[in-house]
Amino acid sequence: MIGAVLAQAGFPEPMDALTLNHYLFVSAVMLVIGLIGFVTRRNLIIMFLCTELMFQASALALVAFGRFHLNYTGQTFVIFVLTIAAAEAAMVLALVVYLYRRSHSLDGSIWSEMRG
Amino acid sequence: MARATLSDRGRRLEQVINPYALYALLALGGVGLWIALPKKGFNPQILGGLLAAIALGGLMVALGVRAGEQRPGFFFYVFSLIALGAGLRMISHPVPVYAALYFILTILSSAGLYLLLSAEFMAFALIIVYAGAILITYLFVIMLATQPPSPGQDEALTRYDRTAREPGMAVLVGFLLLGVLTTMLSGGVSHLGEPIAVAGGDAALASLPGKVERELRRAGLADPGDRVAVSDSGRQMIDPAARTAVLEDAGGGQRTVALPEDVHQSNIEGVGFELLGAHPGAIEMAGIILLMAMLGAVVLARKHAELDEAAKLDEARRLDVQGVGP
Repeated sequence: MIGAVLAQAGFPEPMDALTLNHYLFVSAVMLVIGLIGFVTRRNLIIMFLCTELMFQASALALVAFGRFHLNYTGQTFVIFVLTIAAAEAAMVLALVVYLYRRSHSLDGSIWSEMRG
Repeated sequence: MARATLSDRGRRLEQVINPYALYALLALGGVGLWIALPKKGFNPQILGGLLAAIALGGLMVALGVRAGEQRPGFFFYVFSLIALGAGLRMISHPVPVYAALYFILTILSSAGLYLLLSAEFMAFALIIVYAGAILITYLFVIMLATQPPSPGQDEALTRYDRTAREPGMAVLVGFLLLGVLTTMLSGGVSHLGEPIAVAGGDAALASLPGKVERELRRAGLADPGDRVAVSDSGRQMIDPAARTAVLEDAGGGQRTVALPEDVHQSNIEGVGFELLGAHPGAIEMAGIILLMAMLGAVVLARKHAELDEAAKLDEARRLDVQGVGP
């Protein structure tokens, strides 16, 4: 399976702008799904899962552009995106645990006025 | 470069997809997503999911029909449909654990898309870092911070999981943004022109004498004692552009051999050289950011023990009695 996928990829060949458009299109749809989820859901954990989905969308666009220009800059930047996502996940989850201990609820809207 | 006029831009969008079909499908997807989001009262999530799936499938088919020769392979459609469908289910599922599991599905199919873009290293890094580490942490926190179901119920769904916050407005604004993004994207990307051929596609081979020796031995062009020669300035004598290498045998004699056709730098070698060669400072900063995040997480999630002086003395005495105190 992976062999078939890799054989199809053929890295040294340049990629057409129309093919790049397909990947950017998927990336845009994924970004907007993450955005809508972040705005509509009220559970703190799912809100931060949605930011991870938006990270994914931007990473896909970066890798697709790197493939289009036949260089590794996009993939290198995705490594930093992954790093920031990991750091963000650690901080956010610690914050969620802390807020849950204070209010015994994961509802984001009860913190909207920052009352202790 | 000539500036694209509005009609010009419209023509470019039509090259990929008929704009009216695109906007109609986006509207259909928006309505489907609005129905699928959790709401109070009557909530036909299956109907909404069906509408969104029809819109998604229609978009993919429309993209494929217009692209013609430049159509990406069959696997692109499989992976992107799974990724986007799982993303939709993730934001519409009321149970947080299932939402996290659907996000893992999105990650796995994004890794498939990376493979199609010949970014093998990133694909496996994504699976290991995201699906293996970050999402497991999310699952742990979901399980830590969820109330146990009371005896009569199967699943304890809290009020804030069952109702979305202003779904209509969010979907409207989100899909307007998506319409603008896709229009801009189809108009703007055409300005990129031809892809730049990478200067000396296998440039990293010049720094990989071990790999060159191994490949030459495998091809039978080098004897076990042969080494890649080193020039007076201390550089390995490999020329990636001309695809030749100078070998030195045990007696000190030098000869030039051509590299076999199938010797290329691999994806991970390219990423590694780019990362450590061009961005060494950024790696250090990423390490510091991770360290700070770890410290911050420990400080935030620590449980404060609130003891007054008397309680501290009692505790010390108790530990002393047990023989573990000072």
